[in-house]
Amino acid sequence: MELLCFGLNHKTAPVEVRERFAVGNTKLGEASRSLLELPGVAEGLVISTCNRTEFYLVASPMRDARVSLEARLLEQAGSPQDPLPHFFQLERVEAARHLCRVVSGLDSMMLGETEIFGQTKQAYQAALEAGSTAGVLNRLFQRAFGIGKRVRTETSIQEGATSVGNVAVDLAEKIFGHLANSEVMVLGAGEMSRITAQSLMSRGARSIFVANRSFDRARALAAEMKGHAVLFDDWLKTLENVDVVISSTGSPHPIVHRSHIEQVRKARKFRPLFLIDIAVPRDIEPDVAQIEEVYLYDIDALESLADEARLRRQAQIELCERIIEEELAKASLPGL
Amino acid sequence: MDHWLLAAATAFALIGGISGMRSVHLGRRSPWTLVWMLGCLLWQIAFLAHRGQERMACPLGDRGEFLAFLAWSLTVFYVLVGPTYRISLLGVFTAPLVVALQGIALIPGVLTEKPTPLPGGNAWHETHSATSVLAMGALALAAVAGVMFLTLNHQLKERHLKSGLFRNLPPVRELLTSLTRLLWLGLTLLTVGIVAGFMMPDHAEAMPHLIAALAMWGAYLSLLLTKTYRGMTGRSLSLACIGLFLSSLSVFALL
Repeated sequence: MELLCFGLNHKTAPVEVRERFAVGNTKLGEASRSLLELPGVAEGLVISTCNRTEFYLVASPMRDARVSLEARLLEQAGSPQDPLPHFFQLERVEAARHLCRVVSGLDSMMLGETEIFGQTKQAYQAALEAGSTAGVLNRLFQRAFGIGKRVRTETSIQEGATSVGNVAVDLAEKIFGHLANSEVMVLGAGEMSRITAQSLMSRGARSIFVANRSFDRARALAAEMKGHAVLFDDWLKTLENVDVVISSTGSPHPIVHRSHIEQVRKARKFRPLFLIDIAVPRDIEPDVAQIEEVYLYDIDALESLADEARLRRQAQIELCERIIEEELAKASLPGL
Repeated sequence: MDHWLLAAATAFALIGGISGMRSVHLGRRSPWTLVWMLGCLLWQIAFLAHRGQERMACPLGDRGEFLAFLAWSLTVFYVLVGPTYRISLLGVFTAPLVVALQGIALIPGVLTEKPTPLPGGNAWHETHSATSVLAMGALALAAVAGVMFLTLNHQLKERHLKSGLFRNLPPVRELLTSLTRLLWLGLTLLTVGIVAGFMMPDHAEAMPHLIAALAMWGAYLSLLLTKTYRGMTGRSLSLACIGLFLSSLSVFALL
């Protein structure tokens, strides 16, 4: 019996190819069990996320199983274009190593992301319940989960926020703790504001106010975020109550001046204020940062923090790979 | 004997501080800091119990005992407040202050070698001494929280966000909330101490001491009222808190 991993991912296939082979969460067990219908296949498991669909097979002879799987995928594709060049194929120890890299987040689009660990566990659980796994895949996946945990515990592969939105959220939490008691104001209803505000709301920010020169757009974004639209002329009044301001208007000049903040300091009782300026040209006068209770971060600062986190994660890859090799060498798994 | 007890307490605080700092440097939380500080607390209690037996009263008969009692009170509040508010790093900041206070107390001559029973001990006198030093402990811990705030504030302002210290410091708002609660606790204890001081039969002799305590009480009350009703930036509150603690410590050390 030999182990084979056959699949496609964000590195080998564009989204229009990946989506044709995606398997819904509720159908993972069924898809795994259907692999047992292929000739010579003793065990089978399907992992499917937005970035990958991978088939793990334990079969003998391997060639027959792979050819049958390819034929089934061609049939499933239902397109004149041959999707098979987008698929990769790994055998025995290479397949095991790949699974460990996937579980550890080393093969993810966002290096070190943690969601893939849970998604792989879910796929394994579905296959286990469908009865499509046995000695080889059970041992392999359990070992891979153990390795994934060790990689995440012993390295900093998942540390630091790697997107502007997440950097902003991490900083907001460093200033305010749980965001449940924090209110957010968005100046300008652009896409970047929406993404950043969404990140804050997803971490539990209490309420959101949207001010935009076009009140209709403010209302639309506020409705989407379950917040409140405010007239652009009233943003200064709203500033008295909020903790975080995300500014991303298309204004060619700064719209938030030091004098504006000075005006509301007393009404705010000098509480901390986190200003996120993601507009270019900048919306908030840099001088505002001189005010004691103000923490001002512009797009360059946020991006450089995200870059640093990405670089820190990159620097951990070698250490992660070493742990995987060390653990695989100790494992003596069947089918490798 | 009692010097060795205090030295053991100091060693525990030193180890707790160093292990905590190492963890912080590596970007990890240190659950052991609390354990070492609990050890320190036990040795401090042993020391104070021993001195208390010799004094036949609350052991506040010399500057060394005052410093040891203050360090004990600081440790007690850290053990109570730190884990409750999940401020694990507070121990790393508290330990050096405990080591410094006890280190000074251990300098030859600061602690009376052969303590004698304190004269005129009565309930008001004991209450005054004990609650006043407990108040100082709470206020000292508030000052420690102030130092932590200033550190975090500097890092956020200057964007030095990579250090293990930054990752482990509690959020700005939590720090300021803890600091304010500690100030109220300290002020309440100080109020009890001052009232007890005026009830002492020989309070006229302690008048300079009581006037200094009243001035300190007034300063802390003004600070808290300003914070509550007018509002204050975290930086001003922290600086005022540290400044007031240091000045009250020096005033009482001189009196």
